[in-house]
Amino acid sequence: MVEAAFVAWVGAALVVLADGRRGLALGLVLLTAGLAVLASPAGMAFGAVAIAAGGLVAAGQCLRSGPASWGIMPAGSTPRLIICIASGLLALWVAASVTSGTGAPLRFAVLLVVGLMGARILISHEPGAVLAAIASLALALGVAPGLAATSPGPVAAIVGALIAAGVVFVPAGLARLASIPLADKDGA
Amino acid sequence: MEPELLLAAAAALGLAVVFTPLRVPRASLLTWGLLGLAGMAAIVIAPSLDLVILILLVLAVLQARLTSNREFVTRLRAPVLAIALLALGLAFERMQGPVVLDRFGAVGIVAGLVAAIGLLPYVHEFDPDESVVASPIPWMAFIGPPLAATVLLQANQVIPSDAGDAFGAMLIGLGLLNMIGGSLGSWRTENDASAWRYSFMADWGLAMCGFGLAIADGRSAALLMLFSIVLGRLPLYLWSRQALREKVPTDRPINLVVAAVLAGSAPFAGFPARVLLLRGATQLYWPLALVLAAGMLLWLPSSLRLGRSMGVPRGRQAVGVAIVLALNVLLGVYPQPLLTLAGL
Repeated sequence: MVEAAFVAWVGAALVVLADGRRGLALGLVLLTAGLAVLASPAGMAFGAVAIAAGGLVAAGQCLRSGPASWGIMPAGSTPRLIICIASGLLALWVAASVTSGTGAPLRFAVLLVVGLMGARILISHEPGAVLAAIASLALALGVAPGLAATSPGPVAAIVGALIAAGVVFVPAGLARLASIPLADKDGA
Repeated sequence: MEPELLLAAAAALGLAVVFTPLRVPRASLLTWGLLGLAGMAAIVIAPSLDLVILILLVLAVLQARLTSNREFVTRLRAPVLAIALLALGLAFERMQGPVVLDRFGAVGIVAGLVAAIGLLPYVHEFDPDESVVASPIPWMAFIGPPLAATVLLQANQVIPSDAGDAFGAMLIGLGLLNMIGGSLGSWRTENDASAWRYSFMADWGLAMCGFGLAIADGRSAALLMLFSIVLGRLPLYLWSRQALREKVPTDRPINLVVAAVLAGSAPFAGFPARVLLLRGATQLYWPLALVLAAGMLLWLPSSLRLGRSMGVPRGRQAVGVAIVLALNVLLGVYPQPLLTLAGL
């Protein structure tokens, strides 16, 4: 389980550090693998399958849009690197030292991915990177119920996976619908 | 409380669609309104806070895709911050550890809720010329009320009693901040559309104080305030947009009546809400009631300003304004049936 948490950390760090579609897709794949493995022992075996499927669909779509490059750690990405390392250490301290009980790797992964993806969306200007971060956030929110003392069931994981898979397809379809003029002279 | 607020939001959507001027494209207003309503219904029936947060993410992405002067990424920032704070708060509540962790969790949930609605200190970026549907107003006045009621209900189930004080204190503290900041902003800001936005914050401040009191009077006051936001301030704001663009302040009797609705004076819905809030605060800690009473005076100048900015409603809008006034009088004079329906 510790290995899966580490893989999730590497994946989340890649989503934060990469600007190219290959880097983002690889990050999503690693993140998905880590979260899916961590979800299985938390009473969410079916949920883990859903997370894996949703994450892979998102990664596949991510690979088809945006700049065709890796774009990992472009110039000026030092603050992002510092965020990745610092948030990892903070999440590790909270999950392993401050809190108690089983499931430390899942605690670490949930805190880390939610925090890192929130930061990625707040500092980013590229829609492709933001959509990849939203997909990652949805996956983390899908496995987060595994932190509860009782088995949460697969519903949240399935919904999270559906959102992760669907969010990367959103732009084109809704942009057409939204082109209906909503604000005319009357302003409504 | 949540089903009643959902019904109020549906009624507000109906009023907006039926009594909007003919030139406004009703089909798109109805489409996006129904989409928001469907999201709110899903939030209300969601069995856990995790699902509520996920539905919130969907609504945030859908709204951010609407045509607007603001960028897609910019419009997503505040809702995503809200989602991250709510998720972290919930995660802290679920972990075994010291009590301070539970308190951090409670703070995270309240901060996330405030960020989702767009209140101080997590105010959403606002463009006065933007369409209402794509602006932060639906988060404050349409999705916000059922969302707040649901999140606070679900949060009470996961927050242990040790952290309950921190939860209530955060709600009251942020409520006072929004009450004072919102009413002063609504009074002093130059732009009339921004003044309306601040006035929503001020009303939310009272509602949050009501929720934070955690007694029946406080919750009743919060419910009535949220109803007055959804069925009073929101439709009046929608129908004031034309006058806001023309920038012609008017001083007719109807403007004075609208100002009275917005200020929460008798016999409108805001009045019993304020009386219940003061009664609840007096029961709990009387200096709080003193601060609330002083803060409530700040509604007067801003409400007079907003009433004047409304213009003179004509045709369909005049009928809509009359219905809103009647609904607010009904809620102000007979609030008990609504409170009984909500189990308060």
